Amino acid sequence: MARTRDFSRVSGAGTRVACPSHVELCSYFLGRALEAATATPIRAAASIIGCIGFVMPRMLWPVLAVALCAPGLKAQSDQTENILRQAISLHQAGNVEGAIPKYEAYLKARPDSMLALANLGAAYAHVGRYGDAISEYKKALASEPGNAPIEMNLALAYYKSGQIDDAAKTLQKVHQVSPADTRPTLLLADCWLAMGKNKEVIDLMSPVAERQPDDLAVAYLLGTALVRDNQVERGQVVIDKILRNGDSAEARLLLGTTKLGAMDFAGALQDLTKAVELNPKLPDVYSYYGLALLRTGDAAGAENAFRQELASNPNDFNANLQIGVLLKQDENYEGALKYLRHALDIRPGDLAVRYQIASIDFARGGAEQARKELESIVKESPKFTEAHVTLATVYYRLKRKDDGDRERATVAALNAEAQEKQPGVHVK
Amino acid sequence: MKLTRRHILSLAGAGAARLLATTPNASPLFEEVPASSSGITWTHENAMSPERYLPETLGPGCAFLDFDNDGWMDIFLVNSGPSDFYKPPKPLRNALYKNNRDGTFTDVTEKAGVAGGSAFGMGVAVGDYDNDGWPDIFVTAYGNCTLYRNNHDGTFTDVTKKSGLETPGWTTSAVWFDYDNDGRLDLFICSFVDYGKTEHLSCGDNKLGKHYYCIPRVFRGTASFLYHNNGDGTFTPVQAGTDIAKMMGKGLGVVATDINNDGKMDLFVANDTVQNFLYVNRGKDKSGKWQFEEIALAAEVGYSENGQARSGMGVDAADVFNSGYQDLFVANVDQEMFSLYRNQKNETFRDVAHPNGVAQSTRLLSGWGLKFFDYDDDGNIDLILSNGHPDDMIENYSMQVKYKEPLVLFHQDGGKLHDVSKDAGPAFSKMYAARGLAAGDFNNDGRIDILVANNGGAPLLLRNQSGAGNHWLGIRLIGTSCNKDAIGARIVWSAGGAVRSRLKNSGGSYLSSHDPREVLGIGSAAKIDYVEIHWPAPSGKVEKFTTLPLDRYIAIEEGKGIRG
Repeated sequence: MARTRDFSRVSGAGTRVACPSHVELCSYFLGRALEAATATPIRAAASIIGCIGFVMPRMLWPVLAVALCAPGLKAQSDQTENILRQAISLHQAGNVEGAIPKYEAYLKARPDSMLALANLGAAYAHVGRYGDAISEYKKALASEPGNAPIEMNLALAYYKSGQIDDAAKTLQKVHQVSPADTRPTLLLADCWLAMGKNKEVIDLMSPVAERQPDDLAVAYLLGTALVRDNQVERGQVVIDKILRNGDSAEARLLLGTTKLGAMDFAGALQDLTKAVELNPKLPDVYSYYGLALLRTGDAAGAENAFRQELASNPNDFNANLQIGVLLKQDENYEGALKYLRHALDIRPGDLAVRYQIASIDFARGGAEQARKELESIVKESPKFTEAHVTLATVYYRLKRKDDGDRERATVAALNAEAQEKQPGVHVK
Repeated sequence: MKLTRRHILSLAGAGAARLLATTPNASPLFEEVPASSSGITWTHENAMSPERYLPETLGPGCAFLDFDNDGWMDIFLVNSGPSDFYKPPKPLRNALYKNNRDGTFTDVTEKAGVAGGSAFGMGVAVGDYDNDGWPDIFVTAYGNCTLYRNNHDGTFTDVTKKSGLETPGWTTSAVWFDYDNDGRLDLFICSFVDYGKTEHLSCGDNKLGKHYYCIPRVFRGTASFLYHNNGDGTFTPVQAGTDIAKMMGKGLGVVATDINNDGKMDLFVANDTVQNFLYVNRGKDKSGKWQFEEIALAAEVGYSENGQARSGMGVDAADVFNSGYQDLFVANVDQEMFSLYRNQKNETFRDVAHPNGVAQSTRLLSGWGLKFFDYDDDGNIDLILSNGHPDDMIENYSMQVKYKEPLVLFHQDGGKLHDVSKDAGPAFSKMYAARGLAAGDFNNDGRIDILVANNGGAPLLLRNQSGAGNHWLGIRLIGTSCNKDAIGARIVWSAGGAVRSRLKNSGGSYLSSHDPREVLGIGSAAKIDYVEIHWPAPSGKVEKFTTLPLDRYIAIEEGKGIRG
């Protein structure tokens, strides 16, 4: 079942609005954007652009205007332009599958048509062909660099296809062009949260939260980032604000996340269980619920929760990582790699994921491959003790005793350093 | 009995023993023997103080031993005692209980002269160090250790000073083994942390405003001790110049085993909050110095599979999967999960705790004493774990982790371990602050019983009632040219078409010492085809026996055949 971040109930918006199923990855704030869009005639027109564009109607209006009103188009009555008209007509009628070959045919004759490229991209996205959509959007942008609506569509296609890093980069461009536009800002924050860039989210959302103190969507994103960045006190202020609006899945998720960070696993489980009850469609909710289950001894339940998360949100980093680790523990290395590699797609360069992949390489006999990756990891993160431990083991296995001893000494030094930071005073 | 689908699945997954155990009228696998029945009324004094000095929470150990050589397992229990942080209001003592051969025991501590009372006792290691055929007792402590030599008349003599085994500091588990194969038992002693000489670390107040037991991470590690048996009642420390002296650990558990089948006993040491150590016995180096090489990192038994040092406490070794090689086990604290290391036959191991359900069953537990043993005599190695969180205030911070924890029992079936605790009996539903655990057949019925030493409480004696219908042979090995306890001997036996082998390891568990006899389970087989004894060096002799009784104990003496 598709899930959305439906925040309308919390925000008191009155009308419960959910994103349509084909945009299940969109967040609660996109639901709000849709809600606003329903009051305008643009929404129907926006559907021409396709499912992803559907959520950004105002931004896409200029593209649509070109589609419907460009005088050159009206004047041209040749067969080629008729194909485009047919494509748009089919698209408007909801026959996206029928529109696609028309767009494709038109583009054979007019390969540089920004309009056709953008609409074909949207049509592809509508039917789930995100790779093709991205390709078309890029071509459209080549024709018209910097077109914000198409950039936005491209970002959403990236997001939908799990290329969160690319989505974020693209959204950053949109955000720079229109910094006051909350929607790309919120989506950018959402991407960064998925990538673990909590500090960036805090920097991005703090001024927005000051400008829009009553916007609970903003509060939620900022609060999540603060909690994940262990800024518990600041996070608590934000959580309180959300809680003042009544019990909600979002508030419970935040509370549960906070308790997980504080290692109060049983308390976290209580909140996250409630969050799941209140809104099982809330993105991340099953992912964190799974973590709480794992920490309270229910590995089977945890795996089930992670899979539930992935069923509706294949790009959840945590769930991919945790299932990868669980499968690795069961020595199902191929299965583990599938999830871990996807986690790496979501957070490119993530050290924890790379470490897991390297340890699988090692377990499968690829000591040399593991060595290269682990050397790269400890170079990037010299205090990553676990990576030094495994690298030492790899060196010993490769009969490189001196290197192993060196890594072992590094581990000892890191441990000694950690020990110095331990609490404790001498008493008689 | 009507078999439901669940029963059938249970049968497929965990074997018939498990199914039988779930039958409402079936006897529990293990039954608690209350003090009122056993006569074991001694209780451990943990000396818990408002300051929460760490030694208070780490003891005690326990042992099954036949101190009077009457063929019945007696019991030894270690107590705390005076120290620089504790002055007992009344004298404290260890306890030695003589087995009355009727399920009851008599306290003979004072007569035997093993009461102790001069140090804060921790653990016990039993071994016949002087090869006189009588078990001697070594007690570790926070403070000096004690060696009690058996006088063959129901009494012991404290020979610590004369032997050179005083070993100050904070010692925990110890193990008797013959590292140099000279036919005499040497001694390895785990040293825990540098706890300070005149002052101790306090970790301050917790959320309740009370002192709590420091996590050992705050203390510096120490080197353990290896003593060579000189054969004249004295010992010489020989760790200097070996990895044993170089490695600063926080040793809590140790087992002597042979991980590479080279005939030399190795040591696996569980360390708390730092990596475990695997000391492989490399024999003499060019200078004639006996060397142990620490290879835990290379062998992948030093850290978790994610490269993290854990809180290693109890350990054991056994050929769990009948591969001919010794596998290893380490118990850790909650959230770390315990490790079951499968021997890869090349001095490396792989943690298979997850595929065996061990990781899942132990995620919330803190494990101490433990033992690989065949509790139902079906020929497969099973496992028992005793648990308890070291911090008595843990429940104030954690809703899911308890101070007192249940015992856990695993049954092996189809080459995998399955948690059968729920079916093991009421004793497995109770909670304990368990520390030491010893396995031994106190009623000589061929089913190995369990003794658990509880911190600050009475010990728990469990009578094994499992394995009905399964046959067995109990063997006491007596070395003549090898060490008298025959530690390092390999027993190979064939029954019912299956050939199995067992290495006579030493130590294991936590602070504790097991029944030295080996019980060979043969399941429903009607006879044992043969038993081969591969005696350890110096003889290395192999003896084969084909005419063997069933369901009783025998003694086999090196070069002299079956006795008694």
